[in-house]
Amino acid sequence: MKEKFSRWDILFVQYLKRDWKKIIVWVLGLGLFSAAYVPAFEEITKGQGLLGMYETLQNPAMISMVGPTPIETAADYTLGAMYAQEMVLFCGLFAMIIAVLHVISHTRKEEDLGLTELVRSFQIGRQANSLAVISETVIINVLLTLFIWGVMMSFGADTISAEGSFLFGASVGMAGVIGAGIALVMAQIMSTSSAATGSALGIIGLLYIVRAGTDVSNVGLSMINPLGWTYLTYPFTENNWSLLICALIFSIIVVTIAFALEGARDMGAGYLPEREGRERAKKSLLSVRGLFIKINKGVIIGWMIAFVVMGAAYGSIYGDMQTFLESNEMMKQMFTHSGVSIEESFTGTIMMVMTGLVSILPIAIINKLFSEESRLHLSQLYATKVTRGQLYWTSIGLAIIAGFVGILLAAGGLGGIAITAMGDSSTMNIFDFLAAGYNFLPSVLFLTGLATLALGWAPRLGRVVYVYLGYSFLLNYFGGILDLPDWFSKTAIQSWIPRMPMEDFDAPIFIAITVISIALVIIGYLGYSRRDMIEGA
Amino acid sequence: MTEVVKVHGLQKKFGKFQALKDVTFTVEPGEVVGFIGPNGAGKSTTIRTLLGIIKRDAGNVEIFGKDVWKDSLDIHKRISYVPGDVSLWGSLTGGEIIDLFLKLHGGGDKQKRDYLIKRFELDPKKKAKGYSKGNRQKVGLIAALSVDSDLYIFDEPTSGLDPLMEAIFQEEVEKIKESGKSILLSSHILSEVERLADKVVIIRQGEIVETGTLDDLRHLARSTVTLETEGDVAEMNKVNGVFDFKQTDNQATFSADNQYLNEILMEASKLGVKKFESVPPTLEDLFMRHYEG
Ligand SMILES: Nc1ncnc2c1ncn2[C@@H]1O[C@H](COP(=O)(O)OP(=O)(O)O)[C@@H](O)[C@H]1O
Ligand SMILES: [Mg+2]
Repeated sequence: MKEKFSRWDILFVQYLKRDWKKIIVWVLGLGLFSAAYVPAFEEITKGQGLLGMYETLQNPAMISMVGPTPIETAADYTLGAMYAQEMVLFCGLFAMIIAVLHVISHTRKEEDLGLTELVRSFQIGRQANSLAVISETVIINVLLTLFIWGVMMSFGADTISAEGSFLFGASVGMAGVIGAGIALVMAQIMSTSSAATGSALGIIGLLYIVRAGTDVSNVGLSMINPLGWTYLTYPFTENNWSLLICALIFSIIVVTIAFALEGARDMGAGYLPEREGRERAKKSLLSVRGLFIKINKGVIIGWMIAFVVMGAAYGSIYGDMQTFLESNEMMKQMFTHSGVSIEESFTGTIMMVMTGLVSILPIAIINKLFSEESRLHLSQLYATKVTRGQLYWTSIGLAIIAGFVGILLAAGGLGGIAITAMGDSSTMNIFDFLAAGYNFLPSVLFLTGLATLALGWAPRLGRVVYVYLGYSFLLNYFGGILDLPDWFSKTAIQSWIPRMPMEDFDAPIFIAITVISIALVIIGYLGYSRRDMIEGA
Repeated sequence: MTEVVKVHGLQKKFGKFQALKDVTFTVEPGEVVGFIGPNGAGKSTTIRTLLGIIKRDAGNVEIFGKDVWKDSLDIHKRISYVPGDVSLWGSLTGGEIIDLFLKLHGGGDKQKRDYLIKRFELDPKKKAKGYSKGNRQKVGLIAALSVDSDLYIFDEPTSGLDPLMEAIFQEEVEKIKESGKSILLSSHILSEVERLADKVVIIRQGEIVETGTLDDLRHLARSTVTLETEGDVAEMNKVNGVFDFKQTDNQATFSADNQYLNEILMEASKLGVKKFESVPPTLEDLFMRHYEG
């Protein structure tokens, strides 16, 4: 037994030495993101702010995004309660994602690169590496917990108690540990690092969406979700430490499973084995289009499934909305006053969120062309009949189709399930949902256009488009909560577009953004057809 | 007939770094040109310019009398290229990738493909992510050799291949050469192109420093000789064409000017040769000579 892990401590120390910069950025970045908004939130709570926030966050659309609060009346709502409701889940998600990327980069990825074989030849146990990585990740998350605790306490804000702060930090840190465990299992099952990363992130995404549904319909069900064991600890209010014990036990079990799987497999192999391939290509592969479909297939299918599941999960909430309103007098009044139904308001918000996520796929497809270029995959193709135009426009075509279909699946999934859930009381038909979805098509095209602009003129900036998407996301997300100046909100592309069916369709805006997007694509082409191909950069 | 490849005064900068300062050479019809230079000399950059992958800053670069940037598509129909670093899609098999290249190039010969796959002992059913560098190189070579082109461009084609496969590659290139095609073959090792090249173009730090037949160049260079004699080996130091003489006991190492080889051998045999080793000039030696004047 011991032999398997022999000298893991050497590797462990090695990792800490090698990663110290990354660790500092990780702990500081995520720690500050988690803890440092206390003064900003303190501002919000002034005057009637806390009351308004409580109402806003009672909306099922908000609950499905940020999670619930145990507080039942606005009068009991506090700064701590609000901070926890808005932040724990998001910060926990980030902690998980970073842990997944880290664990896989030190396990399956190194194995792919053949580094593990090298290390193992130095009398290091078969499983020492996994133990070292998981220990490192746990240590990092402990540091993160302590750092968050310290920073939160330092503000000395009302209701941000020592115990609550510590629990807040521990919930975020524990989320990281759960993520690390899931990643370690997927690193054993999958046969490549990209498949391991994809599946681990996919599981986390699924847990998030499932909890969105159960949070609105029945919070009790969220308690059997590993993700639930982090944000449902309710720091500053209920301080429910026992959930962290569930999470800890879960993590230990998951890591044990990963070690068992690793112990029983061959180096470099996964549990989902490689099939023997074809000797000759299928006809469908033999074109630029065929090739691009093939190399993007995994990503496309993965996201398409995610879109349907996401739509369906949010759609299932519709059935509970009326019940929800019955139990919440204040919300009921709010909706009666405004003249829009709760379902319509929810649809408008959720469509914006979903189409934002749908945009990731076309951006990924466009960025793929540059990663193919820099990884030298295209070198030999340049010297064939294939033109740059073919490479460019095929990618654009694929990206736009993916955007179209993505919206169809997300909006259709949402509408289909929502209509079923609402039954006879439904005030919207499937076309209302699709219209609300395609209403955001220009924003998807715009983001695609930005990606093509980068591809043509500054391909290394392709990833920045994701940053802009994330920024827009946060802006729209906090925009509903904070009172941001109009010009500032408008830096997010989605803010230009009215939220159907709550608001009316705006044809001039729709056309204008579409035209701008087309212009971006054409300008991008001018750059792409002229610039040096960047190989190996 | 005009030149197949004509490069004149080619320059290329990457940011501030001048990768190509002045590159001028030609490839005549039916000629095999070895394009030699140390790593980082600018071979791949020159070749990428020839293929329209990157755009030149100055100079005249033509293939088949057409501009390589403006008319790249017309040119590409008639050439085959294997990059120095063949990088493949991990999820496709070698067989699929070869078929894809043949199709996208047009005019591939299926029989030749199968023949070459056997010849190079490639397993075409294996996913490319499982291939070694040598195997990836084979995929690129098979795809390029299976199509009928007028010009073949190989960038360091044998890096990663074992000597047996290297020999097979050379045989296959020889066949192409015999059928009258033009070939541009880059390498950082002189001996790799020795067998095939009619002409050698030597590039160093972005400039062409020598052009000529291999014999022309050899003439300039000195072999390194290690000699052990029964008599006093120090006598050899006085012989014409012997440079950099170093002696330990009865053994000496020196550079021998190839022009004086006969004289040197005669003198050596007078002393009674116990051991004689001669290493042909390396690329570095050629450069040394070049800079000595
Ligand atoms: N895309 C690029 N950006 C910056 N520098 C480059 C780029 N491509 C090549 N270089 C530089 O140009 C020089 C010549 O490179 P290269 O043509 O690849 O040499 P060779 O093929 O002869 O080994 C090297 O110093 C290399 O670092
Ligand atoms: Mg090179």
